[in-house]
Amino acid sequence: MTALVTTITETLRYRGAIGQWSWVLHRVTGLGVVLFLTLHVIDTSWAVFYPDLYVKAIAVYQTPLFTIGEFVLVACVIYHAFNGIRIIVFDYRPGWWKYQARAALLVLGLSIMVSIPVFVAMFGHVLAFYNDPMRQMLGLVEVIESQLPFAAGIGAAVIAAIIASAAFGAVTGEKTAAGIKRGSRIEKFWWSFMRVSGILIVPLVFGHLAMMHVIQGVFAITEVGHTVVGTTTPNVSGTAVEFVANRWNFLFAGVAVWRLYDFALLAMVVAHGFNGLRYVLTDYTMSSPLLRRAAVYLCVIGASVLLVLGGLALVNTIDSTAIQIASEAAEQLFAQ
Amino acid sequence: MEVTFRIRRFNPEIPGKNKPYWQEFTLKDVEETDRVLELLHRIKWEQDGTLTLRRACAHGICGSDAMRINGVNRLACKVLVKEFPEGKKIQVEPILGLPVLKDLVVDMEPFFAHYRQVMPYLINDSPLPANGRERLQSPEDREKFDDTTKCILCACCTTSCPSFWANGEYVGPAAIVQAHRFIFDTRDEALKERLDVLSEPNGVWRCRTIYNCTPACPRDIQVTRAIGEVKLAIQRGKREGIVVDPPKHSGQGMG
Repeated sequence: MTALVTTITETLRYRGAIGQWSWVLHRVTGLGVVLFLTLHVIDTSWAVFYPDLYVKAIAVYQTPLFTIGEFVLVACVIYHAFNGIRIIVFDYRPGWWKYQARAALLVLGLSIMVSIPVFVAMFGHVLAFYNDPMRQMLGLVEVIESQLPFAAGIGAAVIAAIIASAAFGAVTGEKTAAGIKRGSRIEKFWWSFMRVSGILIVPLVFGHLAMMHVIQGVFAITEVGHTVVGTTTPNVSGTAVEFVANRWNFLFAGVAVWRLYDFALLAMVVAHGFNGLRYVLTDYTMSSPLLRRAAVYLCVIGASVLLVLGGLALVNTIDSTAIQIASEAAEQLFAQ
Repeated sequence: MEVTFRIRRFNPEIPGKNKPYWQEFTLKDVEETDRVLELLHRIKWEQDGTLTLRRACAHGICGSDAMRINGVNRLACKVLVKEFPEGKKIQVEPILGLPVLKDLVVDMEPFFAHYRQVMPYLINDSPLPANGRERLQSPEDREKFDDTTKCILCACCTTSCPSFWANGEYVGPAAIVQAHRFIFDTRDEALKERLDVLSEPNGVWRCRTIYNCTPACPRDIQVTRAIGEVKLAIQRGKREGIVVDPPKHSGQGMG
């Protein structure tokens, strides 16, 4: 913990150049995206496993708190993507370092330039929703309450990671930072993986954001009769579950393209995101074998949970019963 | 000209006052061409003899007077008063990430331990050339590590690095610069051993390309570039084809 506090205070005190601030922003935006990713993959898996809960999750996304979060998320993704490309370019061309400061400014400028039209389009969806006299919305208290299970789940994962780490330490009697061996190839692999996956993620995640937040918009997910983005079928029931079902059942040349797309996105983003989280957490816990191991375990737990839940959801089918349950849940949601 | 110094003090020998604190000193008759080191001397000699700092050559060669001056790691002997447009106030504190012994003096041992870790010496056990003379190297091959021969081990780069602040086990920029000097030397035969040391979790991969180290170097070594080249050498398992267009002499001469 002292390592983290020192780094934060001294980064503020040290008059580093723009590279230092790019690094801070890259970490902060990455952490923000990983947090939302965790909520979002679990939420989305509910479309298959608990249709009524998924209906509520999307209703939560359509509240002011999450609308603000949505804008922040999109900005985070855009910055993290552009800055990641900058990092990759200078990693493979270290001799170009003299241009890194200008590149960092360019990344900031580009992020703002791209964010503006995206925000305008997203704000159009927000306006349309708030101008609709028929709109229904959950209250703030209900929204916060709905996130408590996530907070509890994340807390439980943290506790489980620390207990597992303590148990491992007690069994092996390891006092020093474990797993640090000469010539370890694993960090070399992850370094390359972060760069390759980073490049692959950019088009996937930009495509996902464009479809969900710009073209369709989060509010239109539950719009009756709205043609589901990326498909030719309308959302007849106007439920979030049918929205997901239409996308995953859509066949292009006999292939469930959106299932494949979402699977690629899931695998890449989870591995990239949780390894990034491991980088951040272990940077500040290297002096404590207990916490350092716990940080690694936490990332493994998080990534495993998301890959299993998301993977299972993607290979399952959503039938008409699920949509029926969702319709009833949607009616009850605002009936109270 | 009058200049006020704000100096981070710490003296573990005074009971009950062993916490770091800031102290201000005002100096009169300061010339704008005075160096910070000279002014610290004046404070020590004219005002407070207990002010403790490390320095030897005072000409930017020995690398013993690294400190954080107005928020950036510098050698006190290479900084002139006129460099600070904000003028009359100069803040001086010890470099961060190494244990402070007293005032501006830090324990350099952890820093040198990392230096030794990368085996900073030429390793070549094969027999000498038949004529018994030196092992020849082309000027182009020599150029590839020229930049990293300039290091004076002052620790300005390593202690400007947020990764090192967070984790003192990270070998740090200076040790990687030293490793670079031998990794890219065609006469050296310990490439694999050095790359193995640096591919540990506390080796080069802790570098997050923050670029604080490069401007901190008083010898204008392209530090982040050197680290990046070492990363690529580890990725490719060889030294060839990585240092393309080697850095030219900066023409900066001796401090």
